[in-house]
Amino acid sequence: MSNFKFPVINSVLHNELRLKIMVALDSLESANFMYLCEITDSTRGNLSVQITTLKDAGYLEVSRSGSGPSARSVCCITYKGHEALRAYEEGLRRLFSERVPDMENKQKIG
Amino acid sequence: MTASELDIITRMRGEVMSRKELTGENLFLAWGYPTSIILLLEFAALMLWNEDWCDWLWAGIPLIGVPLMIYFLNEDYERTRCRTLEQNAILVMWVFIGFASCVGGAAMGFAGVFRQAFFAYLGLLCSLGCFMTGIILHFRPKIICGIIASLSSAIPLFFQGEQWPWQLLITSLIVVVALIIPGHFFRHYVKNYYKEMNAYE
Repeated sequence: MSNFKFPVINSVLHNELRLKIMVALDSLESANFMYLCEITDSTRGNLSVQITTLKDAGYLEVSRSGSGPSARSVCCITYKGHEALRAYEEGLRRLFSERVPDMENKQKIG
Repeated sequence: MTASELDIITRMRGEVMSRKELTGENLFLAWGYPTSIILLLEFAALMLWNEDWCDWLWAGIPLIGVPLMIYFLNEDYERTRCRTLEQNAILVMWVFIGFASCVGGAAMGFAGVFRQAFFAYLGLLCSLGCFMTGIILHFRPKIICGIIASLSSAIPLFFQGEQWPWQLLITSLIVVVALIIPGHFFRHYVKNYYKEMNAYE
C-alpha cells in the first residue's frame, strides 16, 4: 500500500486570480494596481477584492502613494506570502509527480 | 486540477519575464555629470582663489543629483508600473554608496585626513557601484569601466600636501570612467533595445 499523503492545499492561493497576483508579485519587488490589472487580465473590482483577501491573509502589503483620484496602490509580496506560494507550488508538484504515477501503476496492475 | 494551477504559475512567470523592461538609462548620467562638473569647478576655484567658500561647492552634487534621480526614477516607474528585484537591488546599493560616502567623508573630516584620503575613497565607491551594477545587469561595459575606475581610484593618493587639489581633477576623470562613459553606453544600448522591439512589433 502506498504511503503517499495528500499535501495540504492552501485555500487562499487556490484561486486562479489570487494565484496569478501572487506569482506576478513573487517575480517582482513591487507593482502598481494597473500593472496587476493588465498582467492578470482582470477587472478592477475583482482584482481589488482578491488583493484585499491576500492582504488580510498577510501575503501582500499594499501602500498608497498620493491622494485623490491620482492616488496609486502599490503592492508587494511579504515573506509569509513568498513562503506560502513556495509551499503551495511544492505541494502541487508533489501531488502531480507522486500521486499520478502511483495511480497509473494501480491502473496497469488492475 | 494540479496541472492547470502549475500551468498558471509557469505562464505567469513567463509573462512577467517577457514584460520586464530596461530602465535606469539616465541615472548614471544624472549623477555622473553633476559630480564630474562640480569636481572640476572646485578644482578651478581652489587653483584660482583657494578660499573657504570653495568648500561649499560640494553641496551642489546632492542638490542637483537627488532631484534628478527622483525625477528619472518616477519617470521609469510611470513607464513600467513595477519595480523588479534587480532594479531594487541596484537602487539600494547606490543609496548605500551615497550614505557611505557622506559618513566616510564626515569621519575623515573629523579625523583630519579628508584631503589625504577622501577622493580615493569616493572614486573607489563609485567604481565599485558601477562594477556591481554591471554584474547585476550582465552589462559588460559597466563591468569593464568599473574595474578600470577602481584600479585608477588609488591615483589621487599620490597627490598629497600642496598638490592635493589635483586629486579633484583625477577624481573627476575617475567619475567620467565610472559613471559617464558606462552611462552613455547603457543609454545607447537601451535606445537600441527599444528600437529593435518596436521594429519587431
